[in-house]
Amino acid sequence: MTLPTMASRIPVVRARSWAVTRVVAGVLLVLLYVGASSGRWLRRTEAWPSAAAQDEISAYDHRFDGVKSLLPSRGVVGYVSDPLSPEAAAQPGDTTALRHFRRYLLAQYALAPRLLVESTRPEFVIGNFARDIPPSDPGLQVVRDFGNGVVLYRRLQP
Amino acid sequence: MIVALALSCLVPAITGTLLLRLWWPSRVMVPWWLLLALGAGFGMGLASVLLCFYVLGFGPTPAFPFFETALAGLVAVLAFKLNQTRLTGSGTPSGRPSSRLLLLLGLVFLLTTAAAAGAFLSIMRQQPHGGWDAWMNWGLRARMLFRGGDAWQNAFSSTFPWSHPDYPLLVPSLVVRAWLYAGRETLLGPALVAMSFTFGTVYLLTAALATLRSTSQGLLAGIVLLSTPFFILHGTSLYADVPLAFFFLATMICLELDARHRTVTVRFGVLAGMAAGFAMWTKNEGILFTLAIAAGLVFAGMTEAETRWHRRLRALAIGLIPMLLLVIGFKAAFAPPNDLLSTLSVDRTLGRLADPERYLMVLREYARHISSFGANRFGSAVWVLLAYVLLVGVSRSRLQGSSFVRAGSTAMVLLLAGHFMVFVSMAHELPRLLDSSLDRLLLQLWPSALFLFFLVVRAPEEALVPAQRSLVGGTAG
Repeated sequence: MTLPTMASRIPVVRARSWAVTRVVAGVLLVLLYVGASSGRWLRRTEAWPSAAAQDEISAYDHRFDGVKSLLPSRGVVGYVSDPLSPEAAAQPGDTTALRHFRRYLLAQYALAPRLLVESTRPEFVIGNFARDIPPSDPGLQVVRDFGNGVVLYRRLQP
Repeated sequence: MIVALALSCLVPAITGTLLLRLWWPSRVMVPWWLLLALGAGFGMGLASVLLCFYVLGFGPTPAFPFFETALAGLVAVLAFKLNQTRLTGSGTPSGRPSSRLLLLLGLVFLLTTAAAAGAFLSIMRQQPHGGWDAWMNWGLRARMLFRGGDAWQNAFSSTFPWSHPDYPLLVPSLVVRAWLYAGRETLLGPALVAMSFTFGTVYLLTAALATLRSTSQGLLAGIVLLSTPFFILHGTSLYADVPLAFFFLATMICLELDARHRTVTVRFGVLAGMAAGFAMWTKNEGILFTLAIAAGLVFAGMTEAETRWHRRLRALAIGLIPMLLLVIGFKAAFAPPNDLLSTLSVDRTLGRLADPERYLMVLREYARHISSFGANRFGSAVWVLLAYVLLVGVSRSRLQGSSFVRAGSTAMVLLLAGHFMVFVSMAHELPRLLDSSLDRLLLQLWPSALFLFFLVVRAPEEALVPAQRSLVGGTAG
């Protein structure tokens, strides 16, 4: 190989090695990002729970298992819960009000396809209490106290 | 039960693939993996629609799986009689990657898939009902439909406006399908639907880029998506954002195919319209997406002085119309008014639009959420990809020569701008809403953004060829 030919090849070789460096750096960068996530996925996999459906929503779902058999399979059902203070009800984003709402949503989710309305007017009314069960509406009769804060009432007169 | 659940996924996946094979233009060769990835998604969308019509006619009865399987059998017979599509074993690679690089990327892809799938299953086992919105909206709707018998219409009762009964039905109807196949309600049903769409999106992105660009490019995009923490975590939440992201991506891929083959067929434009229609059937955001896509096509057509954009728009509309009619029919006949829209007042909206503080706040949050999107311990996916493109460069021909790139990127910018205005004008508790929903909106676009990104960024094997100057990244092209 003559000297001028070698000299003309040097920029090409340099360009090629610079391209290789850049591609390797780029792919390495992506692989480092991927590695960080994969480590996270492996840690999550290691935390495999010993039993399925031990979560809060499943537990809440089961709270209403007993009451379902005594309710009509569809239609509107009343719902009462722990009384909410007017201050909490008026404050958007209040944690007490949010908890109250969440309990109602979970009861509706568990008791679907019945439609739960926050009222004591329907024939059947579900009581869903976190604390002590308060005295009921005079027009309501306790059908059964299922424990764990769940009570089924029935309206005495329509 | 596991076999029945597996069938609930396989039947629509196979039917969709066979139907797509029938529809595919005979002159355009297609690798089987792309046909399967797109066809399975279309099949799931069609199965959801079929379930809704079945419930409308007969209620949620246990005979549905037999009815659907019989229809699938008919499609199979038709497909084998009429099939003309030529399948290929490979795509259209734009370069020849080194076997070592391919081996490395393939291995990383498999390991990442296994790790992400393990994490997905572990999280699903810990929270099988998904996140708050999942059981409050999608799960409740599925239960109302499945358990409701003759009174399934109660699923759209206005007694629970907080559960958004006006939301479209793709996700709940697919969950009901799974339960009908299983013969009972099981938490595996929604988990299977979520897993199908989460990993189906990864597969679709990888298959599409492997076909349209190169295998290495497809694998790189796939591992980035699998490593985006929020994508996998949100997939386990059982929300509808990941299925929506799947149909956004399918629309984009069909538009790219349309741009490549527009001189010989408009069929890919029709498919893009169908995919956008399924997005509308998944979440209300699909409506804004479809408008943005149409605007993107018009913009790309006009800036290129392209004469065929009317034809492309017409093809999109033809594909869209069936699903559009279904969405309109659902909203008119069953869905109560949207709780957000029904509480809007002109005065309040104008007041919000005139408040510069709201614009600034949304802008600030956009910048913060976009720049930190997909962050893990190493850093944000956005910064990693930005550094990557600076290193390997952009393919000038892909960037300038593809009308799809212009249409797709315009649609994405318009969609973000549309959401921006929705936040400014409609959000009641703006900081809370931005915090809870902005990442989800970005997630819906993330697979499509990765598709566009890896479509225009040079593949590693291209970047190693010192043939031309790139737009970014100096010499060596």
